[in-house]
Amino acid sequence: MAEVFVLVEHRRGELRDITFEMLSGCRDLAKNLNASITAVLLGKNIDNFVEQLKSWADKILVVEDDKLENFNAEAYQRVLSHLIKERKPILTLIGHTSFGMDLAPALAAELGIPLATDCIGFELQDGRLVAIRQMYGGKVNARISFKTAPYMATIRSAAFKAEEPGLSAEVEKAPSPLTEEITTKRFLEYVEAAVGEVDITQAERIVAVGRGVGDYSDEKVRSIIEELANELGAVIACSRPIVDKGWLPKDRQVGTSGKTVKPKLYLALGISGAFQHVAGMSASETIVAVNKDPKAPIFTVADYGIVDDLFKVVPVLTEKVREAKGGS
Amino acid sequence: METIDGESFGEKYDLFVCLQCGKCTGSCPLSMRSQLSPRKHVREALLFDNEVVLDKEFLWDCTTCATCRLRCPRDLQPVEVIIGMRSILIEEAKVPATVQEALESTFKNGNPWGRAPSKRDEWAAELSLKSASEGAEYLYYVGCTPAYDPRVQNVAKSLVRVFKAAGVDFAILGNEEKCCGNEIRRMGEVGLFEMLMEDNVEIFENYGVERIVTSSPHCYNVFKNEYEGLKAEVFHYTQLLCEKLDNGLLKLTKELKKKVIYQDPCFLGKQNKIFEEPRKLISSIPGVELLEYDREKERSVCCEGGGGRMWAEATATGERTAETRVKEAVALGAEIIAVACPFCMLTFEDAVKMTGYEGKIEVKDISELLVEAIE
Ligand SMILES: Cc1cc2nc3c(=O)[nH]c(=O)nc-3n(C[C@H](O)[C@H](O)[C@H](O)COP(=O)(O)OP(=O)(O)OC[C@H]3O[C@@H](n4cnc5c(N)ncnc54)[C@H](O)[C@@H]3O)c2cc1C
Ligand code: SF4
Ligand code: SF4
Repeated sequence: MAEVFVLVEHRRGELRDITFEMLSGCRDLAKNLNASITAVLLGKNIDNFVEQLKSWADKILVVEDDKLENFNAEAYQRVLSHLIKERKPILTLIGHTSFGMDLAPALAAELGIPLATDCIGFELQDGRLVAIRQMYGGKVNARISFKTAPYMATIRSAAFKAEEPGLSAEVEKAPSPLTEEITTKRFLEYVEAAVGEVDITQAERIVAVGRGVGDYSDEKVRSIIEELANELGAVIACSRPIVDKGWLPKDRQVGTSGKTVKPKLYLALGISGAFQHVAGMSASETIVAVNKDPKAPIFTVADYGIVDDLFKVVPVLTEKVREAKGGS
Repeated sequence: METIDGESFGEKYDLFVCLQCGKCTGSCPLSMRSQLSPRKHVREALLFDNEVVLDKEFLWDCTTCATCRLRCPRDLQPVEVIIGMRSILIEEAKVPATVQEALESTFKNGNPWGRAPSKRDEWAAELSLKSASEGAEYLYYVGCTPAYDPRVQNVAKSLVRVFKAAGVDFAILGNEEKCCGNEIRRMGEVGLFEMLMEDNVEIFENYGVERIVTSSPHCYNVFKNEYEGLKAEVFHYTQLLCEKLDNGLLKLTKELKKKVIYQDPCFLGKQNKIFEEPRKLISSIPGVELLEYDREKERSVCCEGGGGRMWAEATATGERTAETRVKEAVALGAEIIAVACPFCMLTFEDAVKMTGYEGKIEVKDISELLVEAIE
């Protein structure tokens, strides 16, 4: 029976969500390919991972080695190329994460296997694999067809839902092929993002506050805004005056002298829409503005506008978002 | 230490005669709020190699107001040394992301604001203005900020009304207009500046332009003093309108009972010695009482909008100079701060908000005051 390899991603003693997303996301495809699913687990002291993965795959293929204690693309590449050559899986899936992208291109090149990156879905067409990936900042879905099997792909995180299929995997331990020292790449340390540091340019949803919020150092004001942001899973950004007042750090400022952002949702609360602000956010997919002044220029770039006091609107929004989520 | 074109800084800017008197740093509007110190950088440029420039993020604090140049007893150009150092930072790609975006947009779109070139003339859509191909006595060079920033578009629109009222025969380039490059050169991007200069000179030449009038002192400065091969005569709009006022062609009839204070733009005042024309225009409006700052004309304080600062916050901390100026204006009893530069307009409007004087004092361009006086 053919096999689909799914590379297990873990960091500092924890399995990453992408692993489960890939394992459950490829089930239909594996069925159509008439293949079983093998979770490929590399590491050191990883028995607890084996336990956690048992119900998610048909087989768990484990390679243990001291050199695999921390992620190292060079070590992973050697092990994986060995396993792929030996077992010839029809498809290898790797997370489209910084780990995965450090590894997949070189591995595919070494093995001469076609690679589609950042995929969000798959189809089979006349027996050939077609990967779906987004282009033009997410505006277009492109279908990429592979010429020949075997295939390799990296999967965007959260592209698939992780749904436990309740399997019971067979566990196979394979000897490590790593005989030599890994010399080119070395693991040094994990560098933690400083506490509170948020990269607003990467956020999918942003709640942005302007002078209309009044005194943002006021606990009450802050908590009203933060509650909405939490419900939305959004990060908080702002206009320049909020930074000037020292209420939010400089890296939260959107605009020509701050950051340029393109989230799916940009919710502007009490921001007038000065050109220097708008230039940093007008490319957002959906812009919603709350401002009590109907003439505020922000409404010329907004897709949806609410003309009212934001302190009336925000609690209602928070409630509605909560309801919508509860109902799904 | 070597400049971008291979000469040493000392030779290129004649730094050997520097007295280290410190008048430049003493007069610099940023030196109190940043590590920026023109005197020190002049010394460093003489003594060390390129290494010394790297990791000096505060070099982006300089507004290129040129106060340091004005004060130097040796006629040196500390501001040019700083621009030269920025060129090295650009070569090394040690550039704030926002500056990089502005430069890239200027290369791609012909403006630093990230806007499409096809939208440059939108502000004039309903004004039916002559285009340069039809020929006119003056080419009105609008500039990037008046063309794209909705607040400053009103300056361009007001100017058009005043030009028409004064019978000025003018045309615009519309979407063919490109960034003048004044800020680009000051951000250290010499290559891009030269490209813009060549393109613009060619466009002006093609349309046989003999006289250019600008909204912005920045465009005026670069055309007047830095463009090579430009044959046209260059005017800031305050000069042209003052002439029309003297000839009786611009008639200011409506009363405006306001106390108005005037902010000298560095690129008009300090750098080009145009002090009187803007003042004459303002004080000729019936009813206006023109107030003066204590620090005015050559001693005026920079608004912090120049030298690429529109796209770089850099490292300066503490109260912005525009905020200090707004507070001074309020204390002097002014009701309107009159500006004659798009960047002053933006820095001052922001400063009025930050100081909490909204509703108490307004920021208006001189062109906007003139519109009120003619209609
Ligand atoms: C060189 C330079 C660079 C700049 N760079 C940036 C930049 O990168 N990013 C940036 O954001 N700005 C920048 N600015 C500042 C910019 O010009 C504006 O001053 C600023 O964006 C205004 O911020 P704001 O919208 O929060 O405040 P305001 O313009 O004061 O707007 C506040 C809004 O809130 C509304 N409001 C008030 N109370 C309520 C309420 N209870 N409910 C709902 N609405 C309410 C008001 O109607 C108003 O429209 C820059 C300025 C300069 C000079
Ligand atoms: S140009 Fe102005 S801001 Fe720059 S160093 Fe000279 S005085 Fe300071
Ligand atoms: S003012 Fe002129 S002479 Fe004095 S330190 Fe500055 S550069 Fe040197």
